[in-house]
Formats: sequence, structure tokens, C-alpha cells
Amino acid sequence: MNTVVWIHYARPRPHWYALCATDQAAHRSTWASVAAASAEGGAHHVGRYHVRGQHDYETVEIWQFASAERAADHWARLTAAGYNEWFAFANNLGLATHVQP
Amino acid sequence: MQRGIENAKLTMALLTDTTDVFSASEASERCAVLFIASALGTAARAPTAAATVWPRVAAVLQGFSEQGWHLSLRQMIEPSSKIGPMVFDTGFAHDADYVGVFEAPDISSALAGTVQLEQAGWSSCYATRWLLGSREFAAVHAQGPSIGRDWGFIALWEWNDAWAAADAEERRAYDAECDIAFQHDLALNVNISGRHRLDFASSWHHLGMWEADRPDTVDAAMLGHEDAADFRFTTSRHYIGQRKPLAQMFGIASGEPL
Repeated sequence: MNTVVWIHYARPRPHWYALCATDQAAHRSTWASVAAASAEGGAHHVGRYHVRGQHDYETVEIWQFASAERAADHWARLTAAGYNEWFAFANNLGLATHVQP
Repeated sequence: MQRGIENAKLTMALLTDTTDVFSASEASERCAVLFIASALGTAARAPTAAATVWPRVAAVLQGFSEQGWHLSLRQMIEPSSKIGPMVFDTGFAHDADYVGVFEAPDISSALAGTVQLEQAGWSSCYATRWLLGSREFAAVHAQGPSIGRDWGFIALWEWNDAWAAADAEERRAYDAECDIAFQHDLALNVNISGRHRLDFASSWHHLGMWEADRPDTVDAAMLGHEDAADFRFTTSRHYIGQRKPLAQMFGIASGEPL
């Protein structure tokens, strides 16, 4: 049961725009495989939404994980794949309100 | 935390490498719980806070202590310390009235603990930002005689766009230069908490905390970090405050150790 929500805001860092489309696609493919591994592990990807019109970031992505550790592990694998070096971000964790802490 | 939830065992990889000053020998699942609290009107000073909220908050903290939490920066640096729950009084210099830190056994406990404290009545007295971060680097002890260090300096930082665009050699040279500043901190007889990694649940990447004898010492330390161009690759937020018993947040004049 996924009791933790993970909310991820992101926007490209300036040097991302200097990458050619091929290099950008290669990075995105690597990060997509990280996300796929999380989903195979039981995480639920609610979706990715455009928020640039009313936020400091470009997109918000929402995931549900079985635990805070699973969310942290997802992020650790993304950063190990260099994601944080190309995108600025803000993350949040939340515990489902039906869970008795 | 609800039993039966599988908690994947985790020790996160380091976001940046160790240095001469900082060792990853104590990298662990232990998770800092930093709180930045602003009083909601006069609720925290009302008699009901001392009479009804504090006993419930204290009971939750007692439970945390029994589960292996550290309830002060002092205890994070000296785990054998029997000091009770402590905070730093920051209201004289910041929009936050209190900033404090605990260290939970793991991330799930930390997250659930924030909810427990809020539900115990903390939220009726304070609007609080809770930041969670797993331990990367071990505490580093001051070089100098034993002195009182009841001032806390709390540093949040992110690696900025310039760091992200730098190559590995530029980052190594930067880390080496910053290490000189950290050595200077230790020579000022300052204790450093090590480093915690916040980025999985924040826009901040790291938390570092100092124990110092007085604000002038912190200022001297920061001048050293300016000289080392520390802030070339980081965007930072700093808090400074004097250590007080956490009970003071709820109108209790002197806190009893848990």
C-alpha cells in the first residue's frame, strides 16, 4: 500500500538549454529507466504536469511510494544518474492522512 | 509508523565527495528533523500552552527518546549527552522564533514524528517548516579547550547552477578550498554536526550545524568561508540562535531533561 506522496517540482538549469537534442534525449532516456524501475518496484506515478504559468518551476511530478525510504531511494537513483545537475528542483514528502503515525 | 509497511533499507549515496574534514564513516539511515517555527499569535504564551500542549508534546518527545532519537544538536554531536530537548531561540534575528533539530532512527520515523508532534498540539502554537535529511558525514569536534558553546548556527544550502555546470576538477578544487574554511571553523573551537542530505524532500540539498561560544565566533567563521569563495557554488540560508530548553517554546520557564 502506498502511503507516502512525493511531489517533485523541476525546471531546467541554464546549461541544459545548451545541450543538443540528441544529448537531451539520452539523458531523458536514462532518467526514464530510473522511473520505470521505481514503478516496477510498486511505486505509482500519478503524473507530470506543467505549472510554469504560476510557479517558479516548469513541471510538477507526483508519485506515491510504499515508504519515505522508497521515495528517497527513487531520488537517490535519479541524482546518481546526474538528474540534479541538469534540473533545479524542490521536493516534498507527505504521509497519507489515514495513516496513524 | 504503521507496522507492516515495508521500509526499504537505505543508505543514500553521497551527493558530493568526502574531504579531509568530513568523513562518511557514519553515513546512515539516521534522519535529521529540522524545524523552523514561527509563533501563531500569542497561543504559545497562553497558559493553556504550558498546561495542555507542553505535557502532550513532552510525552511524544519522551517516546522518541526511548526509540533512540537525539533531541538536540548537543546530543547529535555528543550522543552520550543527557541534555533534554533543546532549541535555538532565533527570534531576535529572524522571522522564525525557534529553530531546532532532532535526529530520528530512520526517514519513516522522522516523517511520522513530525505528524505526531503536530497532532500533539504543536501546530496550535507554531507554523513550522519541517525538513528531513539523512546523515552523510560524521560530526567533527572542535580543536581547542573545553568551553561552553550554547550558540547554534544552522546552515541550509543548495548546489547552485554554477556548481551544476562545473566539471569534476573545478568541484574538487572548490571542495579543497572550502576544507580550509572548515579547518578554520574547527580552529575557532567550533563543533560541526557533520552533514545531512535534505534534497529528497526539500529544495535545500544539505544541512550543516555549528555549536559556537558566541555570535562573533560564527561571524569570524563565515568570513573564512567568504575568503574561500564557498558561496560561489552554493546558495545558502543561515540561522543563528541561543540554545534554550524546548519547553520554553510552550511557556515553561525551565525544561526538565527527559
